[in-house]
Amino acid sequence: MIKAYINGTGCISPQNSIDSDWFFESINPAKGDYFDAIEPSYKEFIAPNLLRRMGRAIKMGVAAGNIAIQQADAKKVDAIITGTGLGCFEDSERFLLAILNNDEQFLTPTSFIQSTHNTVGSQIALIMKCHDYNFTYVHRGFSFESTLQDAMMLFEEGKETVLVGGVEEHTPNFVLLNRRAKKFQEASSTPIWKSTSEGIQMSEGTAFFVLNKTKTEKSLASVDGIQTVYNPKTSADILNKLHAFLKLHNLTLVDIDVTLMGFSDDVNFDEKLKEVLPSIEKESVAACYKHICGEYHTATAFAMWTAVKLIEKQKLPRVLAISDKTPSKIKHVLIINQYLGINYSFTLLSQC
Amino acid sequence: MSQRVYITGLGMISAIGNNVPESFLSLSQSKTGIGKINYLSTRYKDEFLAGEIKLSDEALVDLVQDNNSALNRNSYIAMLAAKEAVINSGIDTNDGLRTGVISSTTVAGMSKTELYYKEMFEKDDHLNVLDTHDCGDSTERIADYIGNVDYVTTISTACSSAANAIMLGCRMIKHGQLDRVVVGGVDALSKFTFNGFNTLMILDREWCKPFDENRKGLNLGEGAAFVVIEGENALNLRKGKPLAEVVGYANANDAYHQTASSPEGYGATLAIQQALKMSGLSTSQIDYINMHGTGTPNNDLSESFATKAVFGNQVPKFSSTKSFTGHTLAAAASIEAVISVLSLQHNMIFPNLNFTTPILETGLVPETSLVHTPLNTILSNSFGFGGNCSSLIFKKA
Repeated sequence: MIKAYINGTGCISPQNSIDSDWFFESINPAKGDYFDAIEPSYKEFIAPNLLRRMGRAIKMGVAAGNIAIQQADAKKVDAIITGTGLGCFEDSERFLLAILNNDEQFLTPTSFIQSTHNTVGSQIALIMKCHDYNFTYVHRGFSFESTLQDAMMLFEEGKETVLVGGVEEHTPNFVLLNRRAKKFQEASSTPIWKSTSEGIQMSEGTAFFVLNKTKTEKSLASVDGIQTVYNPKTSADILNKLHAFLKLHNLTLVDIDVTLMGFSDDVNFDEKLKEVLPSIEKESVAACYKHICGEYHTATAFAMWTAVKLIEKQKLPRVLAISDKTPSKIKHVLIINQYLGINYSFTLLSQC
Repeated sequence: MSQRVYITGLGMISAIGNNVPESFLSLSQSKTGIGKINYLSTRYKDEFLAGEIKLSDEALVDLVQDNNSALNRNSYIAMLAAKEAVINSGIDTNDGLRTGVISSTTVAGMSKTELYYKEMFEKDDHLNVLDTHDCGDSTERIADYIGNVDYVTTISTACSSAANAIMLGCRMIKHGQLDRVVVGGVDALSKFTFNGFNTLMILDREWCKPFDENRKGLNLGEGAAFVVIEGENALNLRKGKPLAEVVGYANANDAYHQTASSPEGYGATLAIQQALKMSGLSTSQIDYINMHGTGTPNNDLSESFATKAVFGNQVPKFSSTKSFTGHTLAAAASIEAVISVLSLQHNMIFPNLNFTTPILETGLVPETSLVHTPLNTILSNSFGFGGNCSSLIFKKA
């Protein structure tokens, strides 16, 4: 079975993930009911003439892509695949407000041009002069997952190096409206997997990965499998599909050293994951991530970046752990993400 | 892995009809759907033409028969076209085989968001519009409307979106991940896209004239089209009947400019060449090209150069059917896939309306009236912002 070797990563998140030495020390808490990404100084990654016009999602995505490519020392990529649930929301909102505030007059095209969902991937292609395959997936909690599924198929079709990433930005207005719609709640001292109330901490961020068909000395870990599950009716459905997924890779839950679970702090969305948790804890070591990265469509990209770090350092930081159990080694990491309790996914990573 | 992939069902709603039979009638009578703006709320409604679906939101609700108040025009038309395709194919999603829905959209829920956005800051009444603003929503509404769907995803690569959805569907079947997929795209007209294209100054105030020396720009349209594609294994299992085979597809990037195409059409040339290579067909074996042909000065010149780069002096018969439907953005490639299959089924080339004078630099002349001719293979092009270029090749089944 085809594996995707991760040769480079770049991650911008509410934490200090941009610093390659950072390993989950000094965690930034949520700003009440949401997180902001900590953005780097972009000048070292993006030319000033381009930077001026770019919205935040584009800047974050291009910078993270750039970091991943540098780390992998990739001279070229054969495909660029981006996942984003909301795309360039800041530019969309700017153009929409200009239309509404000026009764469709005195408009300039820049924010309309940049609002197109595939702008991040297109800008990376423009900068790299990459004439190859360029897709953008925009499906909620499957946006990043779809990039991985596509990359695995491209490897079977003969491509060698593929850049994949997830990127999300929010705006003050979008946070405000979602707060009014009661989608959020303030982060509390109750652990995220034990929440009894509704609401998430909305967030943003990006993680890009250079994936290689063949293992090289740069390879940090491998993606062995990825599967999405749409709208399962019960937690038993999820567990059955998970066991079948692991079996495909000749594994069972006992082989999974760490399972990163996408608890979101919303009692309804997390309901099925909560029912799955005892099975995971029995045979694997359960951990979570959305209490430090927040919730957004492409949070799995942050989880995958986390998984690579765990494999690299062979250590599960206490801040991520759900119980006192510690893994004796970290060979296989499984990510079980959920989004709105409707989009579920399994991503399997291994040491290589 | 090289299972053959067939189109087995068609569904479409656009300015030229609310379903496939109506669309075929308009096409074969050379009757455009582009006209005065009736439904879109814009201050420019008397200055520009558009290819609107001839139904109000209320009329669409009646057709869809789903009372979910959070739905929007994008979802309604997507659900209608997808359902038509499923019924047309005769597949039963309850039979245990793996079914996917791969849709695409650029505007998504914006047509509704733009109506209530400012109000949402004051009142709570329309906050549920936020839930359907994103691109994934209409895809999940289609999946739930069809029922028993195992896989969903959504693509947004501007005006080539639906071509990429079709391509992904074919690949997932060939890789054994799905048995059949409902693939296509949808974009309802919105103030947002209308003003966007207007500020880019690429809208024609009159009927668009693709490939004409005096073309001024495009007419925006709206629509949804879906096709059911099935692997030969699933098709044989149910003894179904193919309508056409998908024999080639490719995606390449122009990497020239965020919105404009390179003058020589480099990305387009790559996409056409790679799709041809995959199909194993020679250039002389392509019987007709359904062009992207938006009617903008930039696209049509660039696409003409790309066509000449690939086909030399032996350019096949071609036309742009956007002169019927307007440019329907993310839905364009799936609308044109449906039209291409109709062309193969009926051995008809639908004309490029409003053409009089060839482009000086290239001299290419499209078909300007209905042509009856044997058709076995059709190339269909779709190009989008971000240099996204896709080509598909369909073959008579």
